[in-house]
Amino acid sequence: MRQRSSKAVLDLDRRGLMLAVISGTVSLRTLARESASNDIVLLRDLYNKDLSFSDRALSSEGKRLSVTGYMAPPLKAESRFFVLTKRPMAVCPFCESDADWPDDILAVYTKRIVKVLPYNAKMTVNGVLQLGGVKDAENGFYSKVRLTEATYRRGA
Amino acid sequence: MMKIVHAAIAVALSSTSASAQDLPQQQNPWFTDAQSELQQRLLRTPNTNRAKNIILLVADGNGVGTNLATRIWQGQQNGMLGEENVLSYEAFPHLALSKTYNTNAQTPDSSGTATAMMAGIKTKAGVVGVNDTVARGDCQAAEAGKVSSIVDIVADAGKSVGIVSTARITHATPASAYAFSADRNYEDDSQLPEGCTAPDIASQLFDRLESGVIDVVLGGGRRHFLPDDVIDDENKTGRRTDGRNLIEEAATLGARYVWNDETFAALDLSAGEPILGLFESSHMKYEFDRTGEPSLAEMVMAAITVLQNDEDGFFLQVEAGRVDHANHDGNLHRTVTDGVAFHEAVAKAVELTNTEDTLIIATADHEHAIAFNGYCGRGNPITGLCYGIDNAGTTHTGVPELADDGLPYTVVGYLNGAGSVIKQEAIDETSHAIERLHAAGQEMSGVNVASADDGNMDDTWKITFAGQVAAAREELAKTETGDDAELAEGEGLWIGSRTALTQEEATDPDYIQQALIPRSSETHSGEDVAIYAQGPWAHLFDGTVEQNFIFHVMHHAATVE
Repeated sequence: MRQRSSKAVLDLDRRGLMLAVISGTVSLRTLARESASNDIVLLRDLYNKDLSFSDRALSSEGKRLSVTGYMAPPLKAESRFFVLTKRPMAVCPFCESDADWPDDILAVYTKRIVKVLPYNAKMTVNGVLQLGGVKDAENGFYSKVRLTEATYRRGA
Repeated sequence: MMKIVHAAIAVALSSTSASAQDLPQQQNPWFTDAQSELQQRLLRTPNTNRAKNIILLVADGNGVGTNLATRIWQGQQNGMLGEENVLSYEAFPHLALSKTYNTNAQTPDSSGTATAMMAGIKTKAGVVGVNDTVARGDCQAAEAGKVSSIVDIVADAGKSVGIVSTARITHATPASAYAFSADRNYEDDSQLPEGCTAPDIASQLFDRLESGVIDVVLGGGRRHFLPDDVIDDENKTGRRTDGRNLIEEAATLGARYVWNDETFAALDLSAGEPILGLFESSHMKYEFDRTGEPSLAEMVMAAITVLQNDEDGFFLQVEAGRVDHANHDGNLHRTVTDGVAFHEAVAKAVELTNTEDTLIIATADHEHAIAFNGYCGRGNPITGLCYGIDNAGTTHTGVPELADDGLPYTVVGYLNGAGSVIKQEAIDETSHAIERLHAAGQEMSGVNVASADDGNMDDTWKITFAGQVAAAREELAKTETGDDAELAEGEGLWIGSRTALTQEEATDPDYIQQALIPRSSETHSGEDVAIYAQGPWAHLFDGTVEQNFIFHVMHHAATVE
């Protein structure tokens, strides 16, 4: 699945890439980095259908990996914590008195103070995967899976 | 001209069948299929029996447009091109269009619409089971504005009652069956405003279980039945602050409580004790994500089987509550997969009942800001990109249609929502974005030269990038000259443009369809919804009706002598 996706991305970029190569602005090292983007996983790849951890998650525990998703509006300003969700967090003011977290979220502990991204901008987080239930001593947030020492960027 | 042609055909067909055979198209399958449809309809007679049973199935947020998406999706999942598919309720003989507005809202909300269907009057948006005199949130006024629902009427006639929803069972649509409240959000006592002495919604459901009015309850919303110091079977805490554990209280009454697919499957459906099934702390899962919970069709099967133990008949309200939520998310994949779950639930209701004595109504409470692009070819995957029409054949060309910005687009989009192409950029991010566009523009000017030898580069691409660069320059000029009046303090600029999109991305189950206006939650719309009906007095559903008319047909069907 991921492989096909990456291929599609490459197909799409081929035009620009090819032309960039013609104009000599892209080195072979950049091309190598492009193919390394195969390592990006989707949030849903960390879970099985029954919400248990996937083999992918279990085999990546303690390792650094990149996960794509959306930044839920942070609970608190100037923190080093945010929640990554697979779809933008939508709250219908007419239908809901408060927001419910989906079951399959990822708690992200960042290296630096979080600079908030638009709630509907796709992003990629890189960090060390930690599994198992932990309650954050500071903000009380309970998470089953986390990325720590994380950096992030906009885009998938 | 069309009218004249139609009139000519009508005359030809109504005189003798022999004259119909004079038409050159009379062997065309479209023609012969429509002829047999006509013959079937000529045999129809109105069913004027008294309805022993009434089943009202509501797919929340499933207007005519959303329903089209589900019809095509379900057809395509079954190997059809899709457009020709017929969903279970679409085969019902009778149909009307329902005007869904609330008394104070052109764009309706589910509690006002549910009250219209269940109580026969329109009321304000956001209130449940009360009339239009009650302002949303005016707790003290609620009691005086209280109305009766069809549930009260059928219970008085000795019928059993079931309520099934994939949303919280205290949510707007199911609440309209058994509760009155100045605000749909008063789902448990912790949500009542200070000083409000009116009962919360969950406690009213308990009261109806206790008094024997309601017999089967299956849905989500467990937290509204548990105290805030109690942790449930799925490790989530309750919300009640009055200390009441309504699940334990219900068990004391003899109700059978189930909370997952296993305990649900173990229910003895021939026994008479009431059933309280609460399968999630909040809403039940989307059908696409469902695990550890029964499907909507399985809940309908269980409810009907239990309710059929009552010789006097039953009333069952069923809600596919999350078609609406997936639309709010702007995620068409879950919208249509929950739509299919609704289709299956209606099919189950049809299968288990007899059209002679059971009135079945399938409808929606309101539509969403969903829209369909063109011009897409036949069999176009409904969640995917819009492919061109094959002038010589049937199936789409497989080549994406391109907008004036040179980019492909999906068949379905939303007028507003999280999928908005406009995003709020922080001020420094904005200037970065502008720089990026600027750089892209510079690169592109080089590209344009190189593209002379590149067949892939067409004029549309050049125009797109030229436009983006011009826009970026304009924004940049503003920033440089200090003309930043549009930038509110501490906020960013709402800017954006569409980006490239592949079929792989568009058909991903988590894809959010593109939208125009940025809103974290996509909105309802005031468009009409359909009412599909079969069984006693279903023929009264005809033409364009006010939504509250639904109650009156149910009432007439249940009480006619």
